[in-house]
Amino acid sequence: MAMGRRLSRLLDRSLLLSTGPWLVLLLFFLVVRVSKGAPLADLYAQLSRPFWPGSAQSEWLKDSQHLEDQQRIATLEGRLARLEQDQQQRNQAGDWITAPVISRRIEGWWQQLELGAGGLQGIKTGAVVTGPGGVLGRISSVTPSTSRVQLLTDPSSRVGVELQGGKGHGLLFGEGSSRPLVKFLNNDVTVQPGDVVVTSRASSVFPANLIIGVVQNVNTQAGPAPQGLVQLSAPADQIDWVRVR
Amino acid sequence: MPDRSWWRLQALILTSLLLLLLTIATPAWLRLDGMPPSWPVLWLLPWAVVEGPIAGALAAVLVGLGFDSFYGQGMTSIPVLVVLALWWGQFRDARRPLERSTTLGLQALLGSLLLSASFALQLHWRGGSVALAWQVSLAQALLTALLAPVICSVQVLLWRRLTPDDGR
Repeated sequence: MAMGRRLSRLLDRSLLLSTGPWLVLLLFFLVVRVSKGAPLADLYAQLSRPFWPGSAQSEWLKDSQHLEDQQRIATLEGRLARLEQDQQQRNQAGDWITAPVISRRIEGWWQQLELGAGGLQGIKTGAVVTGPGGVLGRISSVTPSTSRVQLLTDPSSRVGVELQGGKGHGLLFGEGSSRPLVKFLNNDVTVQPGDVVVTSRASSVFPANLIIGVVQNVNTQAGPAPQGLVQLSAPADQIDWVRVR
Repeated sequence: MPDRSWWRLQALILTSLLLLLLTIATPAWLRLDGMPPSWPVLWLLPWAVVEGPIAGALAAVLVGLGFDSFYGQGMTSIPVLVVLALWWGQFRDARRPLERSTTLGLQALLGSLLLSASFALQLHWRGGSVALAWQVSLAQALLTALLAPVICSVQVLLWRRLTPDDGR
């Protein structure tokens, strides 16, 4: 009897009417919390739709996206064209020819190697010479059985180079010492010791991306653009065999 | 029995070949700071001193042509070698012949320095440069001057002995 009286008091209509709204609110906030505010955000979006910014900015964003896509396509097309050109050059140039170094004149005024292979073996003037590690130089003259290499360190050698990763472009000047000088073309280049120097993609003399050496020290005060000394990765005074193409 | 002229011709050919051979491949132990001695100077000095300016200048042209064929690349050693031969040739008729070791060494030193200076100038005109030009020139001149008393003295004696009119 007492139990029934208590239950009827709990289910009292007035009590339910007074606590019901609070229960609904509690339920609502629970849903909001669990859904991380999604209903509120949707509600806000619906309510604020009349006040959204005009379509102009949206069009600008779409246009810029379009431009960015076009630019990316142009860059990729350029890269593909260069790769195809490299491949074509390689196909035209043929296989590497291995040649022994029979004499080296690595002195102040001249930096040359004499190779024991020449025109009869298919070596031509202007061919690229590489050793273990990287580029050594170019063939400057050819006889039937010998060829002469003008090293990158020769005082009259000039080679277009760039830092690996396209960080900066420059010219490599031979100075008669074992470390040629790279003079960068732009003032805003971010070069630091340890950066790898490769042949430039813009070079018409050397194939692109052949490793030349590593920047050893940098003079950022040099004008008009920074300069650096390059430690060659293929030391000409120790190499006995080279590859020519 | 071949006469002196024949032997002189033989000696001329042999020493020239030796000069060219040494120019191509100077052994590492005969270098100073990587630089070989100035072989054309070491050959030309005794020849010009014994044979006079005209024969010296002719030999200078030949030696220069041979030297340039190995190095070259647009630079030449002929003008300086001819000037040196004309200068050294004057000592043939001098009252005191140029044969003392120190004098030969000094002449070789000056000759080597002049040759290096001419290369530096030619490089400069062509827009190039050598970073350690002074070091390179001095190393070569010093080595040439050190070898000259030995090599040039022997050659002076050789050319004097093989000259048809017995030298001066």
